Amino acid sequence: MITRRTALAGLAGALASPAIVAAQTAKPLVVRFGFANVGVDNRQFSGGSSLAVAHAEHYFEKELADSPNVRIEYFFFKGAGPAVNEAFANSQLDFASQGDLPQVVGRANGLKTRQLGGNGAHGPMYLAVPANSELRSVKELKGRKVSIFRGTNNHLAAVKVLAANGLTERDLQGINMDEASTNAALATGNIDAAFGNFGLLLLERQGLVKIIYTTKGDNPAFERQGTLIADDGFVTRNPDITQKIVTAFVKAAHWSSQEENRDAFFEISARSGRPAAAYNGDFSGQALKYRNSPLIDDYLLEQYRTQARQAREYGLIRREVSIDGWFDPQFLQAALKQLGLERYWSRYDAGGKPQDKA
Amino acid sequence: MKRALRGAVLPVALLLLWELANRSGWVDPRILPPLERVARTAVDQVVNQGLLGHLGSSLLRDVIGFTLGTLFGLAVGTVLGLSRIADRLFMPTFNGLRQIAILAWIPLIAIWFGMGETAKIVFIMAAAFIPVVLNTYEGVRSASAQLVEVARALTFTRWQVVTRLYLPSALPSIATGVHLALIYAWVASIGSEYFMTVGPGIGGMIIAGRERFEMDLVMLGVLILGGVGYLINRSASLLEAWLLRWQRA
Amino acid sequence: MRTASLPLPAAGVSFPPAAVALLFPAFLLVLWSLAARLGWLPPQILPAPEEVGSALLELARNGDLARDTGISLLRVVEGFAAGCVLGLLLGVAMGLSPTVEDYVRPLFTAFAQVPTLGWIPLLMLLVGIGEGLKILVIAKAAFVPVTLNTLAGIRAVPAHYSEVGTVFRFSRWQMLSRVIFPAAVPPIFTGLRYGLTHSWNALVAVELLASAEGLGYLLVWGRQMFWLDTMMAAMAMIGIVGFLLDRVMAMLEARLQRWRVA
Repeated sequence: MITRRTALAGLAGALASPAIVAAQTAKPLVVRFGFANVGVDNRQFSGGSSLAVAHAEHYFEKELADSPNVRIEYFFFKGAGPAVNEAFANSQLDFASQGDLPQVVGRANGLKTRQLGGNGAHGPMYLAVPANSELRSVKELKGRKVSIFRGTNNHLAAVKVLAANGLTERDLQGINMDEASTNAALATGNIDAAFGNFGLLLLERQGLVKIIYTTKGDNPAFERQGTLIADDGFVTRNPDITQKIVTAFVKAAHWSSQEENRDAFFEISARSGRPAAAYNGDFSGQALKYRNSPLIDDYLLEQYRTQARQAREYGLIRREVSIDGWFDPQFLQAALKQLGLERYWSRYDAGGKPQDKA
Repeated sequence: MKRALRGAVLPVALLLLWELANRSGWVDPRILPPLERVARTAVDQVVNQGLLGHLGSSLLRDVIGFTLGTLFGLAVGTVLGLSRIADRLFMPTFNGLRQIAILAWIPLIAIWFGMGETAKIVFIMAAAFIPVVLNTYEGVRSASAQLVEVARALTFTRWQVVTRLYLPSALPSIATGVHLALIYAWVASIGSEYFMTVGPGIGGMIIAGRERFEMDLVMLGVLILGGVGYLINRSASLLEAWLLRWQRA
Repeated sequence: MRTASLPLPAAGVSFPPAAVALLFPAFLLVLWSLAARLGWLPPQILPAPEEVGSALLELARNGDLARDTGISLLRVVEGFAAGCVLGLLLGVAMGLSPTVEDYVRPLFTAFAQVPTLGWIPLLMLLVGIGEGLKILVIAKAAFVPVTLNTLAGIRAVPAHYSEVGTVFRFSRWQMLSRVIFPAAVPPIFTGLRYGLTHSWNALVAVELLASAEGLGYLLVWGRQMFWLDTMMAAMAMIGIVGFLLDRVMAMLEARLQRWRVA
């Protein structure tokens, strides 16, 4: 894995990176791409989304093959969305795959970002308990030790689900834990329950937990969203590179939306260490085209408006956040046009119903 | 000789108990892995998983943070000790801020410096900085009034007074400060790996072991920390002694 | 002839130390407010001081701050008490009996080389992440300095004290209670003070890693949600409580001194 040389080189490189960033005006450009999750055992892979496929199958590198001075570096954050925000806040990332709540939190705190495309809409959230637990429903969580990874889009979904059952976060003993810690704690029964997504499915496959509730099939307002988001300054300075990134992203989204690729999509996602079957379960009953659509349509916009409003209502953010001017469909439109995919995905209106072709 | 033997009794007894507990199936091997497994993991880690690389990264981070923090601390401590105005202006704020447990600064530093090595090094610097400032300040401040007279008599320049008189006389205090800084910096180095973004390091290895529920990895980490801790303590004492020898020269 | 000190203000002009102490913080506050207002730093890096103030007030008002502080304090008290008792016992045993020391010292030293932070993941695997973990970690943090200082204190009792005791034909118990312990109290108390400081730091460490409540927990929650104001409020409370704990120990120490002299 990490040899001494790589470790020291990595350390030296990281120390020198401010210098690299400062020299950006010269030709060699490093595009820094972050993922708000990390694979099992810190595997540097993500899964279950177009961007995960784009990374794993080198879509970005292929698209940038004619710009030899441009290199991409990938970062996978154990600290999820909040950690991605910390990196954005320090101008250490240019693009990211991130969920709705942390993006809203970032915007509420003045992060200058731009939304470029959808990545993982209609995402389910799960509530898991240790396999031998007696808990059966959300209501029984009162007073229990529950893992909630704060600041992630699981957090907002959890808050909404709790509210629908007459509970607030303070009614539980909520512990802030990342995916790996949550898995370990559930496996040993150190906590009574956990809210989460893909990671919990992995445990269910291993028979270590039971999923006692999922937002799938429940109120669609509980679903999680994610997007391809970028540092506003970078996009302004490098529109050509941004376009290439978005085009590659759309290509990956197209591949990921074709049903004949369904099994392959889960296999690629399994590089994150979570079994293909887990992703299969997460996507069951939903068309790939539905989950992996990159479109910025009225549905996505309305979702984000709602998330922003509810985040404020539940006290997760301190000020009102408007999504005006945040979403920039121009790169997406250009890519769709270039690839002839303008009619491929359905546009959904604010209520979630397919719109007639415009 | 007798003392050495006595000293070995408890550790040996513990090891025997450990083996027994495993052999008899008394204890869940996940909670207490057999000794052989810990040994095998150790070998595997060194040979296959780059354990030495991790250790090297932790130590490198430690040394960089320690050096920067100590140098900075020496400068600031000297100024505060020499200048009554600076003392009265800044010491109360410094004393107030240092009441906040050092680990409590991690979230703020993480937000202010983001991911990567910079944030970790800033934290380690802070951990080393505090004892060095305090002890240098004390040492310089309590330099006797006679020194001031001598300085006048010898018509030293300001710089010479500081380097030839004040600092040498403050050396015992400074040595204590540096000793503490070395220890605090090491603990801070581990802390930074626990709480900031993943990177190479022993702390990261321990956290990974905990998450994967690999007790042998965690125990190995504890042993390494103990060993390195011992070396750091010894180095700190040696460093302190060396600094004091310098004083007599 | 110039000395190394900066020239003092003209004779006759002196400022009360308290006022001078507040000058720099006041200056920082003004700078901070200006920076926030003029947008020198992005708001996610530095919120306006008014926001931090109102966050503090809000936390105080809705009882969150009081509750989390109370929980943290309780944990420290319990862990510290446990660690002190064990530390005193071991320190006294080792101090009074060289045999015991021979047997125990090497293992103890090895144990003490590993920083508290290093023990936390191990303990998490052994006892989970409940209250037990917190108390154990805090107790460990107090245990080492208390043991060491108690041992040193007992050792440091001058030989002629014991001789005086022998002259008076003190019994073993009288020797201990009238001669050895009173003489060892100051270093033992120093050990207790260090122990409390280490305990408080250990509490912060363990609450940052795995907790459902307490000041460290508040700090983590704030970090996840980018609530810098909450984070700073929690940090301020951690500093204040840490300071007060040490002040209390210092006062007790002073009182003990007076009692000894009497």
